[in-house]
Amino acid sequence: MLPQRAKTALLANPKKLGNLIDLVNLPSTLREFVGQSQISRLGCFIRVWSYIKTNNLQDPNNRNVVNCDEKLRSILLGKPQVELAELPMLIKLHFPRGPK
Amino acid sequence: MGKIPPSFRTSLAHTGLVKNPLSPLPQQSPSPTPPTHKPHYVPSKKTPSKKKQPKTDRNPDLDSNSMVFKSASLSDAKKTFNSIILSTSPVQQLDTRFHNALFQSFSQISNPQDSLSFLHHMTKTQPSFIPNRSTYHILLAHSCKTPSDPDLPSLRKTLDLMDQNGFPPDQSSVDIIVRSLCSVGREDHAVELIKELSLKNSPPDSFTYNFLIRHLSKIRVLSTVYGLIEDLQNSVNLKPDLVTYTILIDSVCRSKNLREATRLLGVLHESGFKPDCFLYNTIMKGYCILDSGNEVMGVYKKMMEDGVEPDLVTYNTLIYGLSKGGRVNEARKFLGIMAEMGHFPDAITYTSLMNGMCRKGDALGALQLLEEMEQKGCNPNSCTYNTLLHGLGKSRFLDKGWELYEMMKLSGMKLETASYATFVRSLCRADRIAEAYGVFDYAVESKSLTDAAAYSALESSLKLLKKIKGQLSTTEHVI
Repeated sequence: MLPQRAKTALLANPKKLGNLIDLVNLPSTLREFVGQSQISRLGCFIRVWSYIKTNNLQDPNNRNVVNCDEKLRSILLGKPQVELAELPMLIKLHFPRGPK
Repeated sequence: MGKIPPSFRTSLAHTGLVKNPLSPLPQQSPSPTPPTHKPHYVPSKKTPSKKKQPKTDRNPDLDSNSMVFKSASLSDAKKTFNSIILSTSPVQQLDTRFHNALFQSFSQISNPQDSLSFLHHMTKTQPSFIPNRSTYHILLAHSCKTPSDPDLPSLRKTLDLMDQNGFPPDQSSVDIIVRSLCSVGREDHAVELIKELSLKNSPPDSFTYNFLIRHLSKIRVLSTVYGLIEDLQNSVNLKPDLVTYTILIDSVCRSKNLREATRLLGVLHESGFKPDCFLYNTIMKGYCILDSGNEVMGVYKKMMEDGVEPDLVTYNTLIYGLSKGGRVNEARKFLGIMAEMGHFPDAITYTSLMNGMCRKGDALGALQLLEEMEQKGCNPNSCTYNTLLHGLGKSRFLDKGWELYEMMKLSGMKLETASYATFVRSLCRADRIAEAYGVFDYAVESKSLTDAAAYSALESSLKLLKKIKGQLSTTEHVI
């Protein structure tokens, strides 16, 4: 078994927190989806997740899977289906670590 | 995990009122006589039940008039005052309390110079108004809070004024000065003034003294505090009392300095004080902070030998300490013992015990205890539920955990960081990711945690899951 990670010690790290909540200029694909030109990674995740919920995109047989509609597909690497578990990672792809 | 369990954390938060620095006049009494009752300032205790709200005699006029003055300008205030005087019929005698209230509401928004001028104006236009001690105390409190000037000219002016008008500063004045100065972070001035006023025959009383010691022991190093105690003892013969020692012991325990605490206990005995229940509780708490929960038993025995009657806090601390030290069975026995002694276990008691059981991995036993607790008519609080959720998540009793979570959600309880993270992690591990997302939503919606905290717990749980899955697939590959 993997050693238990320090649970939420993440927040003790200001760099990581900044990474999460700093506003970032968005690439055009994401800009269209979000409807604004700047958003934080956290804000983007919440936006996408609530989009999934309001449009009822979770697979009725397996709630852990999202059936992407066209709009969602455009920002999630064009995949027809994504697992909820990979959602944070997929969104992170749009937020590359900027130059220090 | 050397953390204070959630159940204790909230009750500690209740002690905030003792620290509350922003009551402008802690002892403002409308009567001309100096206030006689004061809250007993002692180190924070673990039970909210003991907290006494310091009763300030609120002047009824003060509330209704607190918004009379809208601008800090002196001339505006004078105009307002004149119009108030004119609008009241001569039959209606305006008493001193009314004037004091007016004066206070103006000085709250203005500076000491203007306040003083306003006071002069009031006495001039309204000869029936004779400033009393409370009036000067208002002025005193506000002149302590002016942005720092090195020699406190306005404070000295006020003190002189009091002397001239037949109200030499007394113990209540000293108290107000010390508290006001400490509330704006000017402790050095407070110490200086205490010394000075002590020489002028108004030494601080034990409340002021202990307040200052307590305040200083929080923000200064120990040697400074000892220096001050010695200084005051030599110069004005102010001796530390039992409360002072309790404060000191509490503060050294907080900084995990056990040796110093033991030394202080020795000094205490030498000075002829007998530890009371409160002090014993403080020592027990100290041991709990120091992660040697097992020592509490020794303290308890000593208490019994000395014939000091334990109270609810004692038992709660005892049970907490034993639970933390892993001696849950012994802790459990005390539930019965304390009830025999007439102290009924409360939510804190049960939560500590549940915490101990969960630490031992007996989350289901803790859940049973919840039932027992409810049967006995003791209402669990959100800490109790969080402790249980944490425990259930840790021991992977997910269905029970989910049930509990639903219950918490229904009653709108907040989730605590640790229990939230554990719960989300165990949900993710069981591949119940959609549910984990739901918990995330609830945490955000109920404002239990900051969005970022909630998200990062979710994200790291998912990362961990991916890692575990990755490991599994590689091992399968090898086979």
